[in-house]
Amino acid sequence: MFEIKVSPLTKIISLSGFLSMGFLLVILSCALFHNYYPLLDILFFLLAPLPNALSKSRYGSADFMSDSSSQNGNDFSHFLTGMFVTSGIVLPLVLQHCQLIAAESCVMSIMGGSIIYCSIITFSWFFQSSFDGEDDQLFT
Amino acid sequence: MDSGNNRLFRLPFHLPNSVTARKWCVYISGVLYAVGFWLFLDAVIYSKHANASDLHVTFVDWIPFLCSTFGTIIVSSIEKNRLLEGALSSDSGLGYIGDSLDSTLAWQARAVLFLGFALLAGGMSGSVVLLIIKFIVKDYTSYPTLGMGINNVLGNFCIILSCVVLWVAQNMQDEYSYSLNL
Repeated sequence: MFEIKVSPLTKIISLSGFLSMGFLLVILSCALFHNYYPLLDILFFLLAPLPNALSKSRYGSADFMSDSSSQNGNDFSHFLTGMFVTSGIVLPLVLQHCQLIAAESCVMSIMGGSIIYCSIITFSWFFQSSFDGEDDQLFT
Repeated sequence: MDSGNNRLFRLPFHLPNSVTARKWCVYISGVLYAVGFWLFLDAVIYSKHANASDLHVTFVDWIPFLCSTFGTIIVSSIEKNRLLEGALSSDSGLGYIGDSLDSTLAWQARAVLFLGFALLAGGMSGSVVLLIIKFIVKDYTSYPTLGMGINNVLGNFCIILSCVVLWVAQNMQDEYSYSLNL
């Protein structure tokens, strides 16, 4: 199986570059139009991975053997994650529709927020995949 | 993607089994709830900041949304196993009241569930009533003003849809564990 070996340091540096690019886009979308409503978008996208991380540390990963209380906790965190991500995407659209921010600002803040969220998700993903890789080396 | 051992992508989910399906259904339900919430909030912010007409969103417009939200909370926070146990016990004994505590709990669960669904339906129909009485009857039928009422109806519909998806997801998991127990 073909696999590109990238050192973890390179991953982290490139991801932080992506993250700062997202922040740059959102802040630029505010500062260029002298209208600081799209900064709320950053808050939503930073809050979005939080419920999953909290429930993962509290209840552990969900499988079919786990009891219903941990299932409900995981459900609630998934629900909140879906809500926050959608809110982050929809909020600039709503603000644009209500003529509070310009259309360019709306597009820039959506792109920036998506980049922020994707980099956070990819960051947690890298940790998971590295753990999985260790497991594969152990068992094969 | 789900072709067994020789998979093409290294994705974290292997097969769309019941657990992952439940997870994605819950995600979709959260997405739908947020869409409904923001559709309604769009109407509110529009009425405050970009409204050209003299018709504004008042507290009356919030009532259907609040009803739908409370209905969603009630319906999704009720224990589904309690409902199932009550149904099984009432089916098994026709005239015989075996476990009075169990049947009382099941009756309470059904009453609360009925209240939740009534709140959901009341929110939906209330938003439609609001659209008709506040907008259409008073001849506010041009689009940017009518959009506030339409957004209210669509938002409530999305919240109901999210509740339905969440209900289906939770019941799917229950059937899965039930068949596993057998």
